[in-house]
Amino acid sequence: MNKIFLMALLLISFTVSAITLDDVQRSFASQPVVRAKFQQERQISGMAQPLHSSGEVLIAKSKGLWWQQQHPFPMTLVLDDSHMAQKMGTQPPQIITADSNPQMFQFNHLLRALFQADRKVLDENFSSVFTDQGKGQWQLVLTPTTTPLDKLFSTITLQGDKYLKRIALNDLQGDFTEIIFSNHRPEPRKLTNEEQQRFAF
Amino acid sequence: MKSSSASLSDVYRRLAWGWLAVVSLLVVLLALLLPRARLDSSVLSLLPASSLGKVPPQIENGFLQRLDKQMMWMVSPGNQPDAAAAQWWQTQLQQQPFLQDVQGPMEAKSQQEWGKFYFENRNGLLDNQTRSRLQNGGEAQAQWVLSQLYSAFSGVSGKELTNDPLMLVRGSQLALQQTASQMRLQNGWLVARDKQGRYWYLLHGELKGSSFDMQQGRVAVEQLRALQQKLKSQFPDAQVMSRGTLFYSDYASQQAKHDVSTLGLATVIGVLLLVLLVFRSLRPLLLCATSVAIGALAGTAITLLCFGELHLMTLVMSMSIVGVSADYTLYYLTERMVHGAQNSPSASLRKVLPALLLALATTVIAYLIMILAPFPGIRQLAVFAASGLIASCLTVVCWYPFAVRGLPVRPVPCSRLLNGWLNAWQNNKAVRFGIPLALLFISLAGIVSLKINDDIASFQALPQDLVREEQAITALTGQGMDQKWFVVYGETAEQTLQRLEKLAPVLASAQKNKLIDSYRLIPLASLEQQQADLRLLREAAPVLQKRLAESGITVSAPNLQQMAVTPELWQKSVISSGWRLLWLTLPDGKSGALVPVSGVRDSAALAGLAAKLPGVSWVDRKVMFNELFSHFRSLLAGLLAAAVAAIALSYVLRLGVKRGLLSVLPSLLSLGGGLAALAFSGHALNLFSLLALVLVLGIGINYTLFFSNPRGTALTSLLAISVALLTTLFTLGMLVFSQTQAIASFGIVLSCGIFCAFLTAPLALPPSTQGKGKRE
Repeated sequence: MNKIFLMALLLISFTVSAITLDDVQRSFASQPVVRAKFQQERQISGMAQPLHSSGEVLIAKSKGLWWQQQHPFPMTLVLDDSHMAQKMGTQPPQIITADSNPQMFQFNHLLRALFQADRKVLDENFSSVFTDQGKGQWQLVLTPTTTPLDKLFSTITLQGDKYLKRIALNDLQGDFTEIIFSNHRPEPRKLTNEEQQRFAF
Repeated sequence: MKSSSASLSDVYRRLAWGWLAVVSLLVVLLALLLPRARLDSSVLSLLPASSLGKVPPQIENGFLQRLDKQMMWMVSPGNQPDAAAAQWWQTQLQQQPFLQDVQGPMEAKSQQEWGKFYFENRNGLLDNQTRSRLQNGGEAQAQWVLSQLYSAFSGVSGKELTNDPLMLVRGSQLALQQTASQMRLQNGWLVARDKQGRYWYLLHGELKGSSFDMQQGRVAVEQLRALQQKLKSQFPDAQVMSRGTLFYSDYASQQAKHDVSTLGLATVIGVLLLVLLVFRSLRPLLLCATSVAIGALAGTAITLLCFGELHLMTLVMSMSIVGVSADYTLYYLTERMVHGAQNSPSASLRKVLPALLLALATTVIAYLIMILAPFPGIRQLAVFAASGLIASCLTVVCWYPFAVRGLPVRPVPCSRLLNGWLNAWQNNKAVRFGIPLALLFISLAGIVSLKINDDIASFQALPQDLVREEQAITALTGQGMDQKWFVVYGETAEQTLQRLEKLAPVLASAQKNKLIDSYRLIPLASLEQQQADLRLLREAAPVLQKRLAESGITVSAPNLQQMAVTPELWQKSVISSGWRLLWLTLPDGKSGALVPVSGVRDSAALAGLAAKLPGVSWVDRKVMFNELFSHFRSLLAGLLAAAVAAIALSYVLRLGVKRGLLSVLPSLLSLGGGLAALAFSGHALNLFSLLALVLVLGIGINYTLFFSNPRGTALTSLLAISVALLTTLFTLGMLVFSQTQAIASFGIVLSCGIFCAFLTAPLALPPSTQGKGKRE
């Protein structure tokens, strides 16, 4: 009896000591707002040079995701619970609502789930391998289990510590995309007025 | 008198033979017509044929027949996604001989074919958004292609960029996804998730063969039910929901079959027992049955001759006519039973003939009023009733003086009761004034609280489980069975497509103005539009190459050949799957397209939009039927009022003002009583209750006229009327128990109406015969 108890205790203490996906989700959830810079490199097979782009990203727990590419041309993407809006150049924004197109919206939920390490949504769509890389560093390798994701990506790899630091996407066609996040700013913990405007529809 | 009776009986004999010849002719006619006859069971087909407006009839019929064949299923494995149950269901369906084209998941192969067709015909399959990005030289399209290239999640490959630099396939795929339903694609299956978290997999198929009769429909529905049970035993958590016109038509025919078999049996037994009790002989049974059968024979033959088909409703209601036509036999037989000892059969006939003919004429007029209603089913009823009654009456007049010889003669049964009733009417003021006044009061109270409802949906009590499944499927798929759509048609496929393209912007602005929620437009452009698109593509291609080069991307020049997609090619291809139902080309090239619309807020406004465009017609069947029903309800109410006025006038002319008005009072009170019964039983007034009132008027006339016959005796008349009332209640009264609501409310009005007519008929007793009742 004592032995079993000891074993259980050992097991618990072991799991507590290592970082888990739940820990990451908890840690992300404790950050109501994160702003960051992103650098993206996209290698498309058959193309001589990779495509570089960069910009700003804002992840607000209560609102959603704001993604603004600034270079080489401006393009803004906003996702919240019920809308997805994409605006580029001088064109009027394209707005898709969850009601009008759940199929497309499923994909958007997923995107947000990636940034917020939302375990429930991830488990529904991927099989995952989580590794504690030590010193507070972790890696999550996701393999899609549902269509159309499995037709697009072979794996999606997330890396980070307190914050999400890197996303790597391996396309099935052999293309590769890497997004690196830097200059994370959790303060102020509330959205400024200007930031709130970004989510106004 | 004695000398003329020999020649008179000659006349009677000739009449009898003549009528036999006519009846034989009718039998031959029926034998010829019946094999080719069609039995119709839809309430909708009671309505005018021209209801779809100006759409060419072949196109209209083509679409309707096709829609009637569609079947849809949703199979749920439970709260976990698992295609096994749906897969099993599909395999089972594919083995059914009555189904064809059963579709489940989109196979990887057809997904490839789908992509291949889109790629090979990309220049002819432009979507609206791409089209608008291509305007003004295509700068917007270049921006869009760049954004797709840079987006980490777009999945653009090098191969795609090389083969389709303008990303036309991608554009049309995205556009299609946006018009797609609320379902998502999971391993090829279209899957929806309900609020309880259950997953639902969509399958659809078609009934095989063009016409599906009742028997085949029954077999198919039973087979599907059995499969459902089997599915549950294999997958205990699984559920299936079905949708298809088949289920409704099967339900309707089952109900009608139930009505006919149970009500029909009750009717026959009731009438037979009654006749046996009153006449103590089997012969009146035979005579009643003969006159009724000849009435039905003539009714069926003449109706089929005039219309070529018979509506189920007409057939069910003809049961009531069977009952009414027995009244003539009963009246004559009652006269013979009571006075058979003193009078010869022909003398008895002469005694009842005036009342009989007057009643027949008045009733036939009441029925023939209905021929004015432009509903085929109701016209059939009018013709059936009129011809059946005339034939039945002629049978009594021509044959029965020969058939009643030796029939038992016996005094009036229950004579004390009947005499008491007659005496009460003459001597008891409480009865003579009290009953009509009480009826008047009840009628007024009822009519005041009477509601009007012309909603066609309320006439057909649809089975709750079917309706629930239907609603659930609509909620899950976003595709309703509203039967609200635009029909676009033209002399050629190209003209039809061009007309569709004129309609498209109108629909878009209607959606923007919240007139409608959504619509489904086939993703196919006219050749004219495809030519215009090609010009846009040729302008935009160099701009795109330049913009891409600025970002350091070099692509080969896009293929800008014409890739014409004709409706023929499109229909044969895999990409039209799910859309083919909405397009129809006739052998002569005439074509039509359906544009289903959901969330309609203002049907009239849409009709207005359609009216402005050539070859476009707005079809909202329900609204159309409701309007027609309400229109013809008012029309019939007017006809009824006119009939009452005409009858009152004839009474006044024949009997003087006081007795004339007194004679019309039973008719008025019976109409009021029928309406009051309708109100108090919680039904609303509709076309069918008015039809019942027309019958009440006709039958009430019989009662009044039997009583007011100066040659008749009050007691005999009362007996005849009592027997007639009971037979009518056994026949028409049975309709109260029909499970079809329209027929049940018809039965209520009729039963209560004729009962009131019976109660108040003694008001019409002629003054000379008053008091005679006591002496009989």
